[in-house]
Amino acid sequence: MLELLQGPLLISILAGMVRIATPLLFSAMGELVTQRAGIWNISVEGTMLLGAVVAYVVASTTGSPWLALLAAVLACALISLIMSFVTIVLKAEQFVAGLALNLLASGLTLFWFQTYVIGREPPKFAGFDQVDVPLLSDIPFLGPILFSQRLLTYFAFLLPVAVWFFLYRTKYGLEIRCVGENPKALDVKGLSVGWRQCLAIMFGSLMSGFGGAFLMLGYSDRFVPDLIAGRGWLVVVAIIAGNWMPFRVVGAIFIFALLEAVAIHAQVVGVSIPHHFFLILPYVASLVLLAGLRSRTHQPEALGVPYSRE
Amino acid sequence: MISVQRRSGSSLGWNITCYSAAMICAFLTSAALLTFSGGDPVKAFSALLTGAFGSQNALYGSLAKATPLLLVGLGTVIAFRAKIWNIGQEGQVFAGAMAAYWMSLWVAPLPYWLAWLLIAIAGLVGGGVLGLLAGYLKVRFGTSEVISTVMLNYIVIYILAYLLDGGPWMESGLTVAYHQSSPVNPLLEWPILLGQGSGKMHIGFILALAAAAFCAVLLERTSLGYEIRAFGSNPTALRFRGTNIRRLLLVVMLLSGALAGLAGAGELFGTSHRLRAETLLGIGSSGIVVAMVGGLRPSGVMLAALFFGALKSGAIYMRLKSGTPAGLVSAMEGLVLLFFLCAAVATKLQLVRVEEKVHA
Repeated sequence: MLELLQGPLLISILAGMVRIATPLLFSAMGELVTQRAGIWNISVEGTMLLGAVVAYVVASTTGSPWLALLAAVLACALISLIMSFVTIVLKAEQFVAGLALNLLASGLTLFWFQTYVIGREPPKFAGFDQVDVPLLSDIPFLGPILFSQRLLTYFAFLLPVAVWFFLYRTKYGLEIRCVGENPKALDVKGLSVGWRQCLAIMFGSLMSGFGGAFLMLGYSDRFVPDLIAGRGWLVVVAIIAGNWMPFRVVGAIFIFALLEAVAIHAQVVGVSIPHHFFLILPYVASLVLLAGLRSRTHQPEALGVPYSRE
Repeated sequence: MISVQRRSGSSLGWNITCYSAAMICAFLTSAALLTFSGGDPVKAFSALLTGAFGSQNALYGSLAKATPLLLVGLGTVIAFRAKIWNIGQEGQVFAGAMAAYWMSLWVAPLPYWLAWLLIAIAGLVGGGVLGLLAGYLKVRFGTSEVISTVMLNYIVIYILAYLLDGGPWMESGLTVAYHQSSPVNPLLEWPILLGQGSGKMHIGFILALAAAAFCAVLLERTSLGYEIRAFGSNPTALRFRGTNIRRLLLVVMLLSGALAGLAGAGELFGTSHRLRAETLLGIGSSGIVVAMVGGLRPSGVMLAALFFGALKSGAIYMRLKSGTPAGLVSAMEGLVLLFFLCAAVATKLQLVRVEEKVHA
């Protein structure tokens, strides 16, 4: 284990952590807003997968990663309408709706994968390039970790601040939180609960689109059907363990990202422990985190409860 | 003017209309999907039907594919009726198969019937313990079972990957890992009841039918079944009645996991005869769909398991005959579930003609 702590390797691990945290940050901040609006949306995994598929298709046909990102985000925003329709209009059980969307996304992906990808020459697609921030990337140690990343990573790291500001310092954020805590209060004032929840679901979904697209274009070099590998679920874990507070959620995400970075490097360095045990770490950590961090004081009161006037 | 109102009772005719409409929508969407991807829906679906029901052997093949789905579906029903959202069927199927495989390494010297029994029990215990673990996390730490069961899925799948890839269960005599175990001892294979070649139906089908009867009696005729249903509809009332909620939760998770575990053991010893992740993957999630589409009732689950078993079985023939990938069936599962979810809401509504009042 000691060799993992040498200088260049440590830098590589921490830089890897930042890169791995990027898609999780996007999805988590989106899902946080959705859940603060009272919607227990567990379809993050499926939505990220959909984003990744769309990003792959568009990037390999047009060659532009930015066009691919745009398409992925739009597709995820569109697909969120299904979730909104089923949970807000039909008021079906939110858990079941999310489960159905996850199964649909993985089923459609498998069909698409078997039709268009498997057994064919993998198409060339351009991912996002590394962007070195002038001057800052030359700082020893911190420079290569924080300032030689993909452009989207810098946005992902600003996102928690933006979401915090939105939720706690703006009128609209207050309304979103109110929808999650006490929707009736908002309804009585003549403000629509449904529209706000619909927008919150859409925001969460399009952020998952960012997450899935980044995973495809900024992290992986080829598409596999289990590309997301439970990251969408880790996002949900991070929100619960972070007690629905933006910066604590970020903290949980960094734990998962660090463990995954260590797992990847352990494989490269060749530690004698089978690498499967490193790959398990984020999932074990999620159970430990949930058992240890049991405070649910900021859980929205009406989370998962469909709102109706009767 | 026509308005939508809540229906007071339920009407069988309207229910059938809603669910048939959902099924038609799911098939039409799948057909659109096929056309869009350059396939021929008529050719593909007729091949699917032939592969599922075209011959006696095809029929046995469908029943064989329905067997694990029925078991997992029943386990899901027990949990979901209590609104305990166990979605760790995938891992529980794996754990059952792994426990049964482990047991099979020891029991060969025993009399056949005893070895067979011990293997089946190991399957039940393997899946049950994994379910129980999620139940314990919920009871002790308040961890949402939705999350813990999913996380346990990944953990178990990675453990199996380790065992078969460089671990102790790697196929012996090989230097390259094929991600599978050596074949199980042929003496321990579960007996084939009917069929031959690709359509072999093993004794697990009888076990699954027995499990369906067990679940129907459990849910409708026992006090545990009453508590399960009551916990799903009104947990507060149950708490006031003095029911031990923690015990109930643990028992439900144990039973739910055990049935999924038995499905895993049956797949290993009745069908694939080798421990291999690909042969088990997807049984868990299909079982959840079967439970939901079956209306969370054992009788409905039997029908749904036959339907999806037939789809899975027919898909193999469909791929050979029309080149349509078998993944279509996975997509259809998602579509059917989504449309059924909408139909379930629609069954509670009715359209009423309302006379508009003319204000003088």
